[in-house]
Amino acid sequence: MLDAALSALGALLDPTTLAFLVAGVLAGLVIGIIPGLGGTGAVAILLPFVFIIEPHQALALIIGAVAVVHTSDTISSVLIGIPGSASATVLMLDGHEMAKRGQGARALAIAFLASMAGGLLGAVGLTLSIPLARPLVLNFGSPELFMLTVLGISLAALLSRGNMLKGLVAGAFGLLLGEIGAAPAAADYRFTFGTLFLNEGLDLVAVALGIFGIAEVVSLVARKTSIASGSGIGSGWGTGLRDVLRHWTHVLRGAFVGIWAGVLPGVGATAGTWMAYGQARATARRKGKNKFGKGDPRGIIAPESANNSVEAGDLIPTLLFGIPGGAPAALLLGALLVFGIEPGPRMITDHLDIIYTIVWSFALASVIGAALCFLCSFPLAKLSFVRFPVLAGGLVVILFTSGFQESQQIAVLQIMLVLGAIGWLMKSTGFPRAPFLIGFVLSVPLERYYYLTANLYSFSDWALRPGVLVMAAVLVIPLVLAAVRWAKARTARTAARPSAGAQSPAGDTPADEDDSDADGTAAPPGWTVAVTGGFLVVFVGGFLLAQGYSEKARLVPTLVCLLGAALAALALAVQVYRRRGTPPDETQAKAWRAELGWVARAFAWLVGFVVLVYVLGLLLAALVFVPVFLWRVAQLRPHVIATYTAVLLGVLLLLQGFADIALPVGYLTPAILVA
Amino acid sequence: MKRTTTFGSRARVVVATMAAVGLAAGCANPQGLGSGGGEASSEMPTRTELVIPYSEGGGTDTWARFLAPYLEKHIEGNPAFTPKNVPGGESITGSNQFVQSGGTDGSQVLVTSGTTYFQALLGRSEVQFDFTTMRPLMLNGTGGVIYASPSTGLRSAKDLANPEKPLTYGGISATGLDLTMLQAFDVLGTKLDATFGFEGRGPARLAFERGEVNVDYQTTSAYLTQVKPLVDAGKAVPLMSFGMSKDGKIVRDPNVPDLPTVEEVYRQLHGKAPSGEAYEAYRAFLIPGYVYQKGLWANEGTPEKIVQSYWDAVDKISKDPKFASSSEDVLGGYPLYSGKEAEQELQEAFRIKPEVREYTLDMLKKSYDVTLDGN
Repeated sequence: MLDAALSALGALLDPTTLAFLVAGVLAGLVIGIIPGLGGTGAVAILLPFVFIIEPHQALALIIGAVAVVHTSDTISSVLIGIPGSASATVLMLDGHEMAKRGQGARALAIAFLASMAGGLLGAVGLTLSIPLARPLVLNFGSPELFMLTVLGISLAALLSRGNMLKGLVAGAFGLLLGEIGAAPAAADYRFTFGTLFLNEGLDLVAVALGIFGIAEVVSLVARKTSIASGSGIGSGWGTGLRDVLRHWTHVLRGAFVGIWAGVLPGVGATAGTWMAYGQARATARRKGKNKFGKGDPRGIIAPESANNSVEAGDLIPTLLFGIPGGAPAALLLGALLVFGIEPGPRMITDHLDIIYTIVWSFALASVIGAALCFLCSFPLAKLSFVRFPVLAGGLVVILFTSGFQESQQIAVLQIMLVLGAIGWLMKSTGFPRAPFLIGFVLSVPLERYYYLTANLYSFSDWALRPGVLVMAAVLVIPLVLAAVRWAKARTARTAARPSAGAQSPAGDTPADEDDSDADGTAAPPGWTVAVTGGFLVVFVGGFLLAQGYSEKARLVPTLVCLLGAALAALALAVQVYRRRGTPPDETQAKAWRAELGWVARAFAWLVGFVVLVYVLGLLLAALVFVPVFLWRVAQLRPHVIATYTAVLLGVLLLLQGFADIALPVGYLTPAILVA
Repeated sequence: MKRTTTFGSRARVVVATMAAVGLAAGCANPQGLGSGGGEASSEMPTRTELVIPYSEGGGTDTWARFLAPYLEKHIEGNPAFTPKNVPGGESITGSNQFVQSGGTDGSQVLVTSGTTYFQALLGRSEVQFDFTTMRPLMLNGTGGVIYASPSTGLRSAKDLANPEKPLTYGGISATGLDLTMLQAFDVLGTKLDATFGFEGRGPARLAFERGEVNVDYQTTSAYLTQVKPLVDAGKAVPLMSFGMSKDGKIVRDPNVPDLPTVEEVYRQLHGKAPSGEAYEAYRAFLIPGYVYQKGLWANEGTPEKIVQSYWDAVDKISKDPKFASSSEDVLGGYPLYSGKEAEQELQEAFRIKPEVREYTLDMLKKSYDVTLDGN
């Protein structure tokens, strides 16, 4: 084994291989920086080359890109609060909070160091676990995967602490949206309203960009200030380095969670990074003051360390079982096939050197990628001090382009607009969006593994499996402990609590809220009631629609809708009850009216852009929209506008021409612009 | 917060306009593919788009992209081939767009796979393409091997007449490629207890290895790399293969020459050649689903000369030494057929009799409690 590992290292140091590795790293970094263009984008960029160049160069190229895509996607999540990828949404909690306080450089330094460590640990973990991986994966059956998804969904509750009812409503809404499309265990298509487009369900990237990205753009665009409010760039590298060293256990734990999320087929990178965040938050609670959600370095370290090791772990099912975990892994499989290597159990005996070449390439690429990003973190951090409207002109174009990539259906633009509106409403009425995303991501896996478990095992068979019992304990013990603590603290609290409880509608303690509304005016209670009512209507409607499906397609949506409706009704009752007797706050109402006006205008700009795309196609729409937007909203000077627009269009054309990135086509798009 | 205008009538107008525009836009879809229509010239275009109704990096995509450089080299006039992925709707979206655009000048060809065919065979209402009139240009097959766990007590396909234990199978969806497996057992008259919902054939194979299910099938290439080691270790028993087509007859798969075909097994169990509705249904899905699984197609009305250039290129590509050395793994060791060889067989398969389709839907409902939307 050691021989193979060392000879693989030798092969890697071959100059051409190294050059392709670095090229892959650069491509991956660039694609990662563009919000929403993660794995799919990397595949699009590499595809034109993979089947042309020599197979081992193709391998180096792919590994180089895959290893770093989740390093640079941190940048936009942290600095501008726009998710760099679906799995980087988690950094919008603590990472972005830190940047808003002017410590963007520190947040990035922490993220990149943790990324680097995560990538290295992932490679080491892979090396050690190759002989063990097969039996371990085979011991993890459908019941264990089912329990894992349940554990993941319970994160929704953890992430809505202090805002429990609303968080759970949001989680149920996520579960419901995730059920759009083909049912896993039956031949039904659910909630598609007869459109072919929805048959494959909503695409995660489009959903994350809509619910978080568009919503953020809408609420920030008219404010005309920069994101960070601190006085200077603040502390950077040094503090970041110290943070990572101080919390090294979180680096290890994040990497561990990440590797396993990658190794087990069916969990996925997004759920994996959120789980890493969740375990950090859940276990750190006991150690003194909890600053999670408000810029705690641990809230960056754990998910950042995890998201690189997820990619490493993902190589196990790809190489040992021939089961790719995502589009980049599928591309890797394709390249290996052309190489004449068929991944499978014989890889360990016949091609151990290839496995190690891949592992070491991965490690090397993550170090190079993170180092490059780390060096850039200081200048990059200045982005958060740019006036937001200036960024928004280009961001709007990029967000819609990225959201378009997976489905390549123009209707997705409308879906993103609607989700943006929902996201903004949730944000202003205090519905946390993290539980929504968790619900959305785990919806289908939950249902899938429930049916597989129920069909393949009897209850007593699966419920008593050791893995299931361990996870059940992880789920139940904190609840028991919390109950005990709550009982103990209850007397003390009722005595000591000051009477300023009803600050926000559901009696939230804003200190622990992840979707902090510090940057937006909170909606008046009437709006919260209306939005909660809206959720209630959606759940009731979903329940009614679900009754038309076949038995195996009906059960889960029915349960989700019943649960969601009950939670929403309860939240509604609480809100109405609390609202009684509270006099309307005039200044707040006035501020809200102003906010509404701005948001409506910002939203109108976005609608205008989408309409332009329908008519002209994305490229020409950007040519019209960007200058007008920069002139009217960002009030830039003409020569800046011209340069800005030219650069943006240049980038789009480059991506379209050389990287297989698809741009939406409109009614009047001239044929010459259609790729 | 410099501006403090209130939310006034202007904003309300904006919102109303937004809603109206949103609604109007919701009714239409401007996306089309390329030029479309137009007068068909019988000359080979200089640029041809490979319309792939599957996403990047998948099996069909890899197949098309692997093939592209060889097409470029060997097709008369050497057109440049550029892949274009139009994924979604289980490949219906892209295929529909392809026929709607109606191009017959060879500037676009459609890449298909078994899933695309099955949607048409099952009569899904969204399907707008008709493979009985479209022109097959080039086809490439795959095979499948059915195997069981030793825990079933099966030692060979002969024991399927009366299995000691219930046979359990893990599938993705009854209306996808799993259907052929279900039909094979229907032909043999052996009861199969199937659970659907697996993410892919890979995860289903893992379930087999874990003992969650005891019968499985894999494409031949996956069988050779992933399952053969299990067979050697005594953890799996191969039963039969789907075979391949030779001169219109199903013969043994050359990649697994020791394994009997489903037809042979039927003869062993029942003493006569398979026939009747069950077998007809099996054949109707087997030919497009496996024997000619991947293909390049042109729209009806494409000039004969263009179609012929593709047919002629098949032989040249097969003899290309570079192709011969690297195609083994990507094409799974199955030959590249020209549309000429396959056209009749395919047309027969796609002219599926309504009663055969009915029989299939009925079988799904009765044996597996699966009902299709709109049926």
